[in-house]
Amino acid sequence: MAMSKEELKEAIVKKALNAPKPQLYIKDFYACDPDSKPRVIKNVANELVREGKLTFWSSGSTTMYAAKGRAQNEEGKKGE
Amino acid sequence: MAKHDTPLLDQLESGPWPSFVSDLKRQAETKPECWDILGQLELSYKDKITHWKHGGIVGVFGYGGGIVGRYSDVPTQFPGVEHFHTVRVNQPASKYYSTENLRAICDLWEKYGSGMTNMHGSTGDLVLLGTRTENLEPFFWDLTHELKQDLGGSGSNLRTPSCCLGQSRCEWACYDTQEVCYHLTMHYQDEIHRPAFPYKFKFKFSGCPNDCVAAIARSDFALIGGWKDDIRIDQAAVKEYVAGNYPSNGGAHSGRDWGAFDIKKEVLDLCPTGCMWMEGDELKIDNAECNRCMHCINVMPRALRPGKEKGATVCVGAKAPILDGAQFATMIIPFVKVDKESEFQEVIDVIENIWDWWMEVGKNRERVGETMQRVGLPTFLSVMGVEPVAQHVTEPRSNPYVFWKEEEVEGGFERNVAEFRKKHAM
Repeated sequence: MAMSKEELKEAIVKKALNAPKPQLYIKDFYACDPDSKPRVIKNVANELVREGKLTFWSSGSTTMYAAKGRAQNEEGKKGE
Repeated sequence: MAKHDTPLLDQLESGPWPSFVSDLKRQAETKPECWDILGQLELSYKDKITHWKHGGIVGVFGYGGGIVGRYSDVPTQFPGVEHFHTVRVNQPASKYYSTENLRAICDLWEKYGSGMTNMHGSTGDLVLLGTRTENLEPFFWDLTHELKQDLGGSGSNLRTPSCCLGQSRCEWACYDTQEVCYHLTMHYQDEIHRPAFPYKFKFKFSGCPNDCVAAIARSDFALIGGWKDDIRIDQAAVKEYVAGNYPSNGGAHSGRDWGAFDIKKEVLDLCPTGCMWMEGDELKIDNAECNRCMHCINVMPRALRPGKEKGATVCVGAKAPILDGAQFATMIIPFVKVDKESEFQEVIDVIENIWDWWMEVGKNRERVGETMQRVGLPTFLSVMGVEPVAQHVTEPRSNPYVFWKEEEVEGGFERNVAEFRKKHAM
């Protein structure tokens, strides 16, 4: 049986905080609840972004998700 | 006066053609950060490596697309381009602008960005190049509230849909491309502004098989206008073309003397399926064999017209990447109705069927065309609920692997090997 929305949110945030990689593809969250449809998981992940618990990281061609504070931020990094 | 020496870039101004280097130098007179673009590009030419870092968490609140983060990896040398984000703005359907609107966009970009634009990106958006993170929200506010325009798509989103001029200008358009483009843009706002997929997904809408937006080559979902019945023929006009009284191709090639019009050489022999012939002075078409290439209609527009029962063909899976080579779309559904009354439900059903499957089966950073190629066309057709037809393949299969389903085989896959060997000894 598919998880409730709140359970799914909790599982996604847990995964985003504990995964070895800081930035995750949307498909990486599918495993949080194999019974939920991909579009449901996508909608919940995007809601978590609006709530400020996740953040988007985009290369321009691909978008990934990260727990707030874990995403690689280019801003402020100084090069050579 | 130039801030950096750019001898390599200066060479690009020496040719007879317009140079972006000259444009940048002119722009730098009012936007000094443009000197740093030139400086950084000169350095890239020397080092033979890009000095842009791309990607990041930049964006406007609530949106997961439309802004592409760009940073210099040599910001101390070129502080003007430390941040140089790209903004994609959703273009109006068919790119109809007023000069007032274009001026307003340019003024807005002079205010918040470098003033540099790219008209248009390959997906169709207006691309505004170069701004700092702190300017994004004020720019977005003015864009949406004063100009009533919105950001386009980027990342793993539905990209900004685009369409040809359609019925606004073209007699061949078999459906209202602008209406579909606008309707689906509004219908899929969430997918355009927030990431939804394993990778990018593009819609393009062409009103006829001339495909003026190159949907078949550049979009994951191409809706190309077509007709189900017969090409309409005006035999009197055919005679006028043959007699040389009407210019072929609407007079498009009249700048040079190509000789008298030859219907056999210029139309019949060039028909890709060979479905046209003359009987006396009458043109005949075997419409069942016509593959809607549009060549004959393009050559003799006063004599031939698309049929009356109009709709569109769905082609899926094109991509035009730098790596790995380009791929054309595959024709999946020969004919769908494009019906405004039903709010294009038949088209929406096809799109969502593709998405549901691709979101589950597609790998990260895999375009839907690549997923189709990986699983094979028969599997994709069965997911789409489409019966295979001969037009789905370009030639009869040349390998021996025929995949039958158990229910298609009389008696199923169960068999008594001992009984079989009685008749067929090893």
